[in-house]
Amino acid sequence: MAKSTGGISRYRLGSSYATLVVSVSLVLFLLGILGMVLINARQLSDYFRESLSFTIMLKEDAREADIRMLQKELDAKPYVKQTEYVSKDEAAVKLRNELGEDFLDFLGYNPLMPTIDVYLQARYTHPDSVIKLEKVIADYPVVDEVYYQESILNLINDNVRKISVFLLVISLLLFLIALTIINNTIRLSIYSKRFLINTMQLIGANRSFIRKPFLLKSLFFGFLAALIAIGLMMGLMYLIEKEFFTLFTYENINLFLLLCLVLAAAGILINGISTFFAVNRYLGMHEDKLYY
Amino acid sequence: MEEITPLDTIIELKSCSIMQQDHLVLSDVNLKVDKGEFVYLVGRVGSGKTSLIRTLNAQLPLAEGEGWVAGFSLHTIKKREIPLLRRKLGIVFQDFQLLTDRSVHDNLEFALRATGWNNKVAVEERIKEVLEKVGLQNKGFKMPHQLSGGEQQRVVIARALLNDPEIILADEPTGNLDPETSEEIHILLKNISNTGRAVIMSTHKHSLVKKFPGRTLRCENGKLSETEQNDQVIELLF
Repeated sequence: MAKSTGGISRYRLGSSYATLVVSVSLVLFLLGILGMVLINARQLSDYFRESLSFTIMLKEDAREADIRMLQKELDAKPYVKQTEYVSKDEAAVKLRNELGEDFLDFLGYNPLMPTIDVYLQARYTHPDSVIKLEKVIADYPVVDEVYYQESILNLINDNVRKISVFLLVISLLLFLIALTIINNTIRLSIYSKRFLINTMQLIGANRSFIRKPFLLKSLFFGFLAALIAIGLMMGLMYLIEKEFFTLFTYENINLFLLLCLVLAAAGILINGISTFFAVNRYLGMHEDKLYY
Repeated sequence: MEEITPLDTIIELKSCSIMQQDHLVLSDVNLKVDKGEFVYLVGRVGSGKTSLIRTLNAQLPLAEGEGWVAGFSLHTIKKREIPLLRRKLGIVFQDFQLLTDRSVHDNLEFALRATGWNNKVAVEERIKEVLEKVGLQNKGFKMPHQLSGGEQQRVVIARALLNDPEIILADEPTGNLDPETSEEIHILLKNISNTGRAVIMSTHKHSLVKKFPGRTLRCENGKLSETEQNDQVIELLF
């Protein structure tokens, strides 16, 4: 009988810890999903921004060597992702293929100009940056004109900005919710031990001695919860890549590893800090208030 | 930390006010208790017995006056010194206040570790010693809820004895126990007092005071006073 009641007591204790770990891991899992969305949103926005190009119309009499020199110079610039040189002849072939007829036959000459298409790095696609770049490039002697679709650039930038703000607000909100839930779960768990804490004080234990086992346990449970959350995220990623890989692929393994590290750190830190304050609260509380 | 003089006096209160938060419970309290003394603290419910004991172990701050317990001055004690004071006291509660999530042995081990015992062999020996003193040498593995009220109180007394305290403060230690068990606990506390430790015990049980006479302090009408030791007076006290 004695052993069985002891067993029930340990089972209840274990069960309350399990509830704590499950709650925290689910909240961290939600944060992890948010992190994945943010990373993918960033990649998606970078993809759109970097698919924008502006075209450098080169002078008709520009020498091939000068053009190649310019292209090489542009490729070396930090803001350029890649360049693509289209000579007069290549442009004519492209247009002929698009039109389905040889326009050179009835025009008698090739009116197309050689061009270099410049694709910018995502972080340089802001309209102000593009205007500055346009001026810099237009100063090259072989350049006749710089052309880009300003309206599309503005539209993409505007939408990306709106979506970023929206995601940021949602992230902050979710993070606050996560903090509150974890904090409350831990406070409830410590609340149930407030009389134990009081008894520990009465038998002469100092504050750090009382706090230590609570903190160690909490840090361990935070780590455990983070591991569970990471496991759940991996499962979710597997399902998404299996079912919707074109919609939501996850290519950057380094970012994912970073996200896992952030989750583990968040689990451990949030648990630790919440426990520290929750235990401190009862360490400093007047005994009579423990009953309210 | 100020030393008490003379050396035999282990508790001294001078013109103290005992407060329970903002409420004055006892005023102008003057008290001296010497080493090895056994003192009863009697009075009606709500008369201030528990508040006085709580003040002595620094659970309640000393609002007015000067007080010394086991070398610590209650009127100037700092928060960080309170655990050190409590290590010189053995506290016995009516409601036991054992750590319910661990066995008797682990309760005692926790108290030792919390008060600076690091040597495992010494810890085990001390636990064995105190459990033998209270007659529970075979109950170390039990959880508190698996023990009777009397046994739990013996564990609390064992815990109070761990650090060889100079004073035992017992707040209604027999309040929840049947007469026979109460007497056993009482004898145990008396024996502890005979080993040179001061014992202050608050109680409602006049039968015990009659059977084991001793110095008796009475809380009444917001004052603490010493009473004579005769049966008629004792009857009137309760």
